[in-house]
Amino acid sequence: MKGVNATSRPEAAFVLLLMQATFWFLAGISALPFVLGGEVYMLLLAAFSFALAGFTVWSGMEVVWRRTWARRAVLVLEWTCLIGSLLMLALPIGANRGPVSLLVNSVLPFAVILLLRGKAVRNQFGTPRSVTG
Amino acid sequence: MYDVAPTHAIGLYAALIFLPLAVLVVRRGRKHRTQPGTVQIACVLMAVTGVVHLSLIPDHLATDPLTSVLFLFNGVAFLALAGAVRWRWWRLSSAALLVATILGYLFYVDFRLEAPDQVGLATKVIEFAALGMVLVPVLNEKPMRDRPWYWALLASGLPALMLVSGTGVWIESLAHPDPRHVHAGATLQSTNVVPTSGQQAAATKLYEQTAAAIVPFQDWRQAWAAGYRPAGSTDMPSTHWFNKAYEKASVLDPQRPQGLVYANTHHGPVLLGAMFQMQRIGAFGPDPGGPLTAWHQHENICFTPIGLEFSLMTPYSTCPFGAIDVTAPAMLHVWIVDNPKGGPFAVDIDPAAVAAIDRT
Repeated sequence: MKGVNATSRPEAAFVLLLMQATFWFLAGISALPFVLGGEVYMLLLAAFSFALAGFTVWSGMEVVWRRTWARRAVLVLEWTCLIGSLLMLALPIGANRGPVSLLVNSVLPFAVILLLRGKAVRNQFGTPRSVTG
Repeated sequence: MYDVAPTHAIGLYAALIFLPLAVLVVRRGRKHRTQPGTVQIACVLMAVTGVVHLSLIPDHLATDPLTSVLFLFNGVAFLALAGAVRWRWWRLSSAALLVATILGYLFYVDFRLEAPDQVGLATKVIEFAALGMVLVPVLNEKPMRDRPWYWALLASGLPALMLVSGTGVWIESLAHPDPRHVHAGATLQSTNVVPTSGQQAAATKLYEQTAAAIVPFQDWRQAWAAGYRPAGSTDMPSTHWFNKAYEKASVLDPQRPQGLVYANTHHGPVLLGAMFQMQRIGAFGPDPGGPLTAWHQHENICFTPIGLEFSLMTPYSTCPFGAIDVTAPAMLHVWIVDNPKGGPFAVDIDPAAVAAIDRT
């Protein structure tokens, strides 16, 4: 049964990536009313947020398909998010330190990293699609 | 929404204490060990949310017995489902309970039966994750007849539920802020409710001194010469101008306000008022006028260096890509133009007043 547990890790990571993408999508939507209020650059930020959300979902799907590049890309993304969120907590800028912020910005990326790291998981990636799919 | 309600804090402690226990039981238990990792994670998350619901019962029992009964049902059902992983209808029942709980919370918030707070929202985030883990089909698992349906439900249903919940909570929170959050993203200083005659006199004195001191800045060129610069887009109805030289000036000095506010009219910047600002985040300034001159602090705002623009942080504590979550030091405005919706020390200037100035 170890095999079953190990192979479900990419699927678990996909769920978390889907959640993360939705959080970013909502953040993108949240910028739009401010564009109407005259903050034109917020449109750029909204577009970046939507693009990031799309990339995250796509990478998540490719992780489920056990693509090596997707696992690497997701790990880079999540390490960046984790380091960024920890930096925000450390700097005296008054960033939110509530449980939701910790869950979404720190625990979630950390959980994805835990799910996709390690030799056992790495060995599952890069195998032909017909076998895994 | 961004605070932990004191009566809900016990839910956080209960979750943190119970989490290692739930992980241990799932990792060691015979029933759970043979299940896919996603199912194990779902069981841990459902057990945690069940304990959070149960821990909130004592506080709600006296004031809201119906909610206490619902919490009891929720808590027991989540714990039972976390244990009954081999049950034939486990997946369906777990998904149904999670969706019902999430929608129930949204109903409570939108019908103002409960104010959204960090414990409630964190519990929803845990429930979203649990729902995803329940729905996601896993390789090597016993083949599921409805596998494509589960994928479709997960890929469309989970984001839709998250967006509906997030926007529902957010709209309610912005439409009906509590008394200390009178304006989106701003927290008011705590003061006495009714101003004393001394406070009224002090507020009048502050207003008169400030209004007299900033008369020269009705010509924006004078403000520019004094070191004030626009901080943000001048395409907006109004813009704050800041003077870096006064950042560390004594607090509430009418001769040296840290900022000025100009309306961006078709005939150039028109002075609306002055703004005093503290140096440090988290400290409110001296409050000579009591409730009349309460300071406010903008919390959980998303700031982007691109164009020095702002937006508000979502209920899920995220900002648009390229913006960071910050809190601005406490500030106090003194409006020298007529501000019918809040008076001379209001958090915000009435947009209708700004529009009227633009039309003149």
